[in-house]
Amino acid sequence: MRFVGKVLGVFFLVFIIYVVFSGSVSAYDLITGVLVALATSVITANLVISNPSKLIQVWRLGWLLIYSIRYFFVDEVRAHLDVMRRILHPKMPINPGIVKVPYEVVSDYAMLTIANSITNTPGTVVVDVFPEEKAFYVHWINAVATESAEARKHVSEVFERFAKRIFD
Amino acid sequence: MRIKKLLVLGSLILLVLTFSLAFARGALGYYPLPLPRVRMLASWYLYTTLNPQYTNFTAMSPVAVAAIVWDYRGLDTLFETAVFFLAVVGALTLMRGVTLKSVLNNANNKDNNYGLSLISKTAARLLTPLIIAVSASIALHGHLTHGGGFQGGSAAAVAPLLVLVIFSVYFLLSRGISEKPMFMLWTAGLLGIYLTTLAAVFIGLLTGLNAYVFQNQPKFDAPVGLPAQISGTLISGSLFFLNIFEYLAVAGEFTLVFILLSMPEEVVKSFISGETYE
Repeated sequence: MRFVGKVLGVFFLVFIIYVVFSGSVSAYDLITGVLVALATSVITANLVISNPSKLIQVWRLGWLLIYSIRYFFVDEVRAHLDVMRRILHPKMPINPGIVKVPYEVVSDYAMLTIANSITNTPGTVVVDVFPEEKAFYVHWINAVATESAEARKHVSEVFERFAKRIFD
Repeated sequence: MRIKKLLVLGSLILLVLTFSLAFARGALGYYPLPLPRVRMLASWYLYTTLNPQYTNFTAMSPVAVAAIVWDYRGLDTLFETAVFFLAVVGALTLMRGVTLKSVLNNANNKDNNYGLSLISKTAARLLTPLIIAVSASIALHGHLTHGGGFQGGSAAAVAPLLVLVIFSVYFLLSRGISEKPMFMLWTAGLLGIYLTTLAAVFIGLLTGLNAYVFQNQPKFDAPVGLPAQISGTLISGSLFFLNIFEYLAVAGEFTLVFILLSMPEEVVKSFISGETYE
């Protein structure tokens, strides 16, 4: 039963990607899409999903949608403007450094969401992750705080709040 | 250092200027660049590739490239597949008898001791099925859009390659993506290609009509052919099947080579020198 849940989760993911990539919803695409999604999901279900019961909690998708909009239209824009200002400023006001940023989420996908959110915004890059310490090491273009709790407030607090709601 | 950079810059500028002059003066022939109008041969292919009125010449596929690769010049592609087959057989012969089974059973080689960070591993877990989905779409639409079996199969092999690099070869093998299943996938694909090239001949034998090896659409002296459409959906006869089987063959073939290449040198040497055998 658990395995069937995992297969169904991967099935819908693969089917949607297949149809979107093919760019058409003709009978041919739908039939081949179902076959491909079925084969792929049976092969990779255990690799992709570990807890299928989270898949039926649809509010997680709602949070994912809200986070995507917020991330791409608020956080990304803010970070881009900040880095643009630093590049164009004649004095180039940067203060680079690597800081330790702890995280509290449990699941791997939540951790990945935070890490990719940090790396994808200009100015901060996750250099490495230490799951035993539950901490990222982040290269920061303007390290205003070196103490980890303070650094987390600047770098990843918003991302972590949403990641927890989506995946934990 | 500075002089070296200036020299490089100067030589690049000189190269561009020389080529521009050569093009402009016609030193590389009268038409060094592609002609603005389509050549005769190209226009012939474009005119017949999907043209039900020319039943003797059409391949019934809107993609002229796919039609040329698998129909007009199909034999060429078949022999390319054979050359690739022989190359991988050569690699397999070099690595004969070598297996990671003994190393796999060693507890130190279990999952988490190898590979990149947890971030890469988690991302790879999510990406693997998506890569397969995209590659399958490339292969299954080979007769409708650009792409095809070889391109799709190469893209599919990226999924195991990703797992191989980000986790480890032991992780891949312990999940059942090992030499034997890949060899079977590859063989199944080649067998499929072989049977597809003979499909028209089989139909001809059963119906008593004339037919050719590697025939796709019906010809004037060979009225059997593979269906261009199934209930209104264009599959372009043999192109659809050849793309699917080439996809399976290439995906299995590349994965097999990746697994062979990622075997640790000490293990391979211990097998080849005869110290270890299974």
